[in-house]
Amino acid sequence: MLKYLIRRLTFLFFSIFLASVSLFVLLRLLPGDPANALLSVGATPEQIAAAQHKVGSDLPLLQQFLKWIVQLFSLRFGNSLISGVAVAPEIASRMSITVPLTMTAFLLALIVAVPLGFVAAYRARTWYGSALNAISQLGIAIPVFWVGVLLILTFSLRLMVLPAGGFPSDGWADTAGALKSLLLPVLTIAIVMSASLTRYIRSATLDVLGSDYIRTSRALGSSYVEAMWRHGVRNAAVPVVSILGIELATTFIGAVVVESVFALPGLGSLLVRAISQRDYPVIQGVLFVSTMAVLIIGFCVDLIQRWMDPRLNKSLTATRG
Amino acid sequence: MKIKSRPLTLIVGYLLVGLLALVALVSLFWTPYQLSDTTGGRLSPPNLQHLLGTDKLGRDTLSRLMVGARIALSVGFFSVLIGAFIGITVGIGAGFAQRRIDESVSALLDILIAFPTLLVAMLIVAGRGSSLSSAIIAIGIGMSSIIARLTRLLVKRVLAQDFITASRASGTSWPRVIVIHILPNIWPTLIVSLALQFGLAGLSEASLSYLGLGAPPPNASWGSLLQEAQVTVLTSPIAAIAPGLCLVALVIGVNLIADGLRSQGDPTLRKI
Amino acid sequence: MNTKKFGKFAMVGVLALSLVTTTTNAIAADSNATINIGSLYEPQNLDNTGGGGQGVTEALNGNVYEGLFKLTDSGKVENLLATAYKISSDGLTYTFTLRSNVRFHSGKTLTSADVKYSIGKVTAANSQSARKSSFKVVKSVATPNDKSVVITLSSRSISFVYNLSYIWIVNEDAKDISASEDGTGPYTLGTWKRGSTLSLNRFDGYWGSAAKNKQVVFRYFTDATALNNALLTRAVDVITSEQSPDALAQFKSSAFKITNGASTTKLLLVFNDRVAPFKKPLVRKAITSAIDNKKLLQSIWGEYGTLTGSMVPPTDPWYENLTKVNPYNPTLAKKQLAQAGYPKGFTFRLDTPNYDPHPAAATFIKSELAKVGITVNINIITADQWYNNVYKKLDYAATLQEHVNDRDVVWYGNPNFYWGYNNPRVISLINAAEQAKSATAQTQLLKRANRIIVADAASDWIYLYPQIVVASSTLSGYPINGLNSQFFAYNITKG
Repeated sequence: MLKYLIRRLTFLFFSIFLASVSLFVLLRLLPGDPANALLSVGATPEQIAAAQHKVGSDLPLLQQFLKWIVQLFSLRFGNSLISGVAVAPEIASRMSITVPLTMTAFLLALIVAVPLGFVAAYRARTWYGSALNAISQLGIAIPVFWVGVLLILTFSLRLMVLPAGGFPSDGWADTAGALKSLLLPVLTIAIVMSASLTRYIRSATLDVLGSDYIRTSRALGSSYVEAMWRHGVRNAAVPVVSILGIELATTFIGAVVVESVFALPGLGSLLVRAISQRDYPVIQGVLFVSTMAVLIIGFCVDLIQRWMDPRLNKSLTATRG
Repeated sequence: MKIKSRPLTLIVGYLLVGLLALVALVSLFWTPYQLSDTTGGRLSPPNLQHLLGTDKLGRDTLSRLMVGARIALSVGFFSVLIGAFIGITVGIGAGFAQRRIDESVSALLDILIAFPTLLVAMLIVAGRGSSLSSAIIAIGIGMSSIIARLTRLLVKRVLAQDFITASRASGTSWPRVIVIHILPNIWPTLIVSLALQFGLAGLSEASLSYLGLGAPPPNASWGSLLQEAQVTVLTSPIAAIAPGLCLVALVIGVNLIADGLRSQGDPTLRKI
Repeated sequence: MNTKKFGKFAMVGVLALSLVTTTTNAIAADSNATINIGSLYEPQNLDNTGGGGQGVTEALNGNVYEGLFKLTDSGKVENLLATAYKISSDGLTYTFTLRSNVRFHSGKTLTSADVKYSIGKVTAANSQSARKSSFKVVKSVATPNDKSVVITLSSRSISFVYNLSYIWIVNEDAKDISASEDGTGPYTLGTWKRGSTLSLNRFDGYWGSAAKNKQVVFRYFTDATALNNALLTRAVDVITSEQSPDALAQFKSSAFKITNGASTTKLLLVFNDRVAPFKKPLVRKAITSAIDNKKLLQSIWGEYGTLTGSMVPPTDPWYENLTKVNPYNPTLAKKQLAQAGYPKGFTFRLDTPNYDPHPAAATFIKSELAKVGITVNINIITADQWYNNVYKKLDYAATLQEHVNDRDVVWYGNPNFYWGYNNPRVISLINAAEQAKSATAQTQLLKRANRIIVADAASDWIYLYPQIVVASSTLSGYPINGLNSQFFAYNITKG
């Protein structure tokens, strides 16, 4: 296990490094200049030159690269080229919104989707099984921002019970306000996510229900539920955990659409703005942090799968499925 | 237990997608009004001349919706084409590669999957401007990591089977093995995933349009129609509901087809 | 009689007294209010000489920082940190007297050295101030004593005092103000949560009358609908600049007030006057006549907005309605195209920023020009690409862009500006106007220049934006005009 951990960690750092270097190259290959974000219509040629000097885009590429590597390894990420503030605290402040948002939505979706998905598969032929299936079909077909807009229409504009967007200016110090602001965004993500999770769980359960060991177990006299409990849950859970990991990781940055609908200052919105302004230190900081998150999630998925399916432990280096 | 529902889902799915495809086809030759026709009056409510009303500039919403069908289908088709090409190539490559390379590639894929289409789209739009083709390329690249991951898994499973060893022992070359054994065996599962991605592409495009990274005017997609209508949702809800319903119909139609295909395909490979 | 008289007097006295009490009560209740202001323009940083953008002017100008002079919401220039000034007879030397007892937020008293430092900040090599070029005429700044500043110019500059209203007076000891501040205004900076809010707190040591509210919170949105929802749910009290007229329907009730003020933001179809076919004024005139600006304005803004027919908005002193010079007339446009040598029209690429209202305007222009045989290829670009390709490399044929500044018709006097309009008569008129001896003379000269610019159709000035402020009807004292994007918050009261 220790050997496996070390391998994973080495790989973790190697991939972060690789991801950062390729990003640096990719971003610089794109046309565009962070200095542009500082200009206004009417800027003179010398003002353009001054802006380039300020953001450092007039330096030779190699020098920019070295400067950035030094920052990367000191984990400081530097300062934003546009606003001049330090990137690391900025990212921390954004994460204090995005992490609770995605984690709560994810847990909520999980709590809803596991029983629903199971019932939808186990009672596939009943009317409610079909209804669950149809509702989850609908749930994954609706664009996420539209769900957000509908929730705002209902709960904020008609019922006037929840804020339509924004985050308290005191942040989490105003706990009640912060929780209220996050309620609808969490619900939006959870609705869409639970629809797709329900489908995954339903399909995984269907697979297990049709498999040989359940049939054998049934032939040996176990009830369906008993057979399912003994053999099914674990077998169904292994692929589902992998999907869950992917869903969670995707939502981390993918929450940007919901953040935009609800005007939340999250990580995704920081990234979107930074890319449009070519604010390299910010882009690199956000991508670094989110790559870390993805790798850590992947790592946890591995551990959970190994714990659930002891067969995987036999070959520690077995490829993940 | 799915005997009864199988034909029905497939039929409904084909019907929905077929209908939208028909509308898209018709829009190539005829729409009630030209998209450049701005004589409809500002934000007219639905009436006999304009069944779904008009937009700010006085363009007929129904005509825009019809052209939107064409855009939605081409976004789906071409992005899946790009995604499948990259994804299947990488997936087969990784499936065949030696352990170290395979592990690195699949770990890399896990990371890439987590970076949504949006990020790719922003980078591409930054490079070549926002256009329908930028959106298609971004969505295609975005889905390619998922397809690659699945392909690799399927290839591994097929490779572990005895007939491959037998075939190799009888002197068949690897490229030939890929063509006659691997592709036919992984195809039934792959096509289901591709169909799902086709539907998801429509949703991705809508999100991109919402953030201003989608297909630019005058050929607006359903996503950008939705985005435009958001401001007037209280005063003219039809402009928001119509493109939303079209999008939902497309995604559900494609999903139903995927479901139907899945239950016809190899029952042991129904994971994704 | 006497008693009666006295009784009457006493009555009045009581009434007056009760009036006074109610007013003071109202003020006492209001003066601790927090005002939430909703805006789409978050500052990029807090330094207006460091590329802070439009948002930094909106939030900090007049609220946190003050100039020697102030441009009021109605467009007048008033003394602020300067109490008086003298101009020498040759018009080259200005002597300013500073207000006494003005303190910076850090506690230091304002001296002439701070003024000198602040002017230097704007004219410095690394300054990103939009007004930098206006201060090229400054030859020297002297500080004979703590309370007076003497500025010598290299040539007459009639707009000099007006331009000074754009210079923030900053404490010379404050080195970097991109994330902090040290001004003299009625508010100090509270916290700035990037991507979300910026709060200002009343400054108790303010030299003038204190702000009428305790705190102001600017709440920033990237999505106009989200901003409207915030006002509907009272998360904000006022929207500084409503950008979607279609959303106004939901505010048409007694709970909200909609004001339609004066703006200086213009939507321009800018031709690259250096390249064919836009080198020919006749082609530009033809295009201007082919586009129904009135219909476009109505499409985008409904009943709001103004047609001016030139770069000059009604709030500039040299405004004239010139919409008749290049009237909407497709027949005339076709004739002019034929005369210019393009009877069958031509094709050009229109570089269009990807944010509202440009894409919709481009679509409309495309369909209008199709009627006179001109094919438009709409090329949607980001703001970054606009600066790179259009503004810096001049690699464009035509582009759409909004120009926000007031008094910016003078940019047509710079042949190196991105639109490349080069008319020696206009250049000399604009130079002469700046060196004019009186405001009247300046106005006359700029009117003449503007008429030539319009006759040449240097650009197509499509329309002047409206400045729509929507507020909760309990709010009063907020500015309604969008001059130079300022938004003075100190008179706002709630209740």
